[in-house]
Amino acid sequence: MIASTRREPRIESYLARLRVALRGLPDREIDDIVRELRSHVDDLAGKEGAGVEAALQSLGDPLDLAQTYRSENQMLRAQCSGSPLTILQGLRHATRGTLQRVTVTALYVLGYFGMGTLWAGALEKLLAPSRGGLWYTPGDFWSTTLVVGGNPPAGARELLGWWLVPIALLVGWGVKYASDRIAQWWIARYRRAKASQEV
Amino acid sequence: MATSSGELSPESHFDKWEIQLRKGCLELAILGCLWPARLYGLEILRRLESDSDLVLSAGTVYPLLSRLKAEGLLKSEWVEADAGHPRKYYQLTPRGRSRAVEMAKMWARFSTNMKGLLSPVLKEGGK
Repeated sequence: MIASTRREPRIESYLARLRVALRGLPDREIDDIVRELRSHVDDLAGKEGAGVEAALQSLGDPLDLAQTYRSENQMLRAQCSGSPLTILQGLRHATRGTLQRVTVTALYVLGYFGMGTLWAGALEKLLAPSRGGLWYTPGDFWSTTLVVGGNPPAGARELLGWWLVPIALLVGWGVKYASDRIAQWWIARYRRAKASQEV
Repeated sequence: MATSSGELSPESHFDKWEIQLRKGCLELAILGCLWPARLYGLEILRRLESDSDLVLSAGTVYPLLSRLKAEGLLKSEWVEADAGHPRKYYQLTPRGRSRAVEMAKMWARFSTNMKGLLSPVLKEGGK
């Protein structure tokens, strides 16, 4: 009975669809999931005599099931990762609706944009010391500009001097660190909320 | 089940509340299932059905077991079974055991307090 359920085409077709939909997870993990679900179907259809159809129905749609595994895996990886791409993937699963997804992603990208600008400012100061820097027109506080790839405004005075380099590098790194931590906090919060809604 | 004003009917509200209540204790129920011994997925499902009245689909329980394992609360191993195919058994890790104790204590405290609060309701409502 059990040997026959293993070769049952409906089971093979279900597991093949699941395997394809799980793509993106580590191969070892995919093998483990498929093996466990095959064992479940074998037990339910064979030992408990529920029938193949009922056994597969208890697992639900293979695409939905794979999505559940993938989103959980990607959120978990994002929580432990320092890679912005992994964190972005995690954020994609940790948002509800397009508006929230776009907003959260844009804020995260903005953090990296801020880091990039500060680091580019530091590099500009090193490569073109006479142009690069933080410039300020006396009497106009709002004119303070970090010059990257251009000329300072006429009559402007430079602030910070060479101190700009370590400060911009440090603040840029701080912005990146804060963006990552906030994104990971968001993902953890989403996962906790989701965990109480399982069933 | 929504009324014309868009509000949920009392029955729907009650059903929703009951579902939320069950969802909230699912993780504790799984940790409780695994407290005395290691079990494989289908055994966990059957145990939840018989001992806790939680009827769940396999499609819910397996990803949840995977999550609890990823969080370090469970560990698993493949065991060759008499059934002719291997089964993946889950058991609590030390971290899972301490989480189970914490959650069970909190549940017991909450349940005792609620029982005290609700005893007059049950007394008079049961008449």
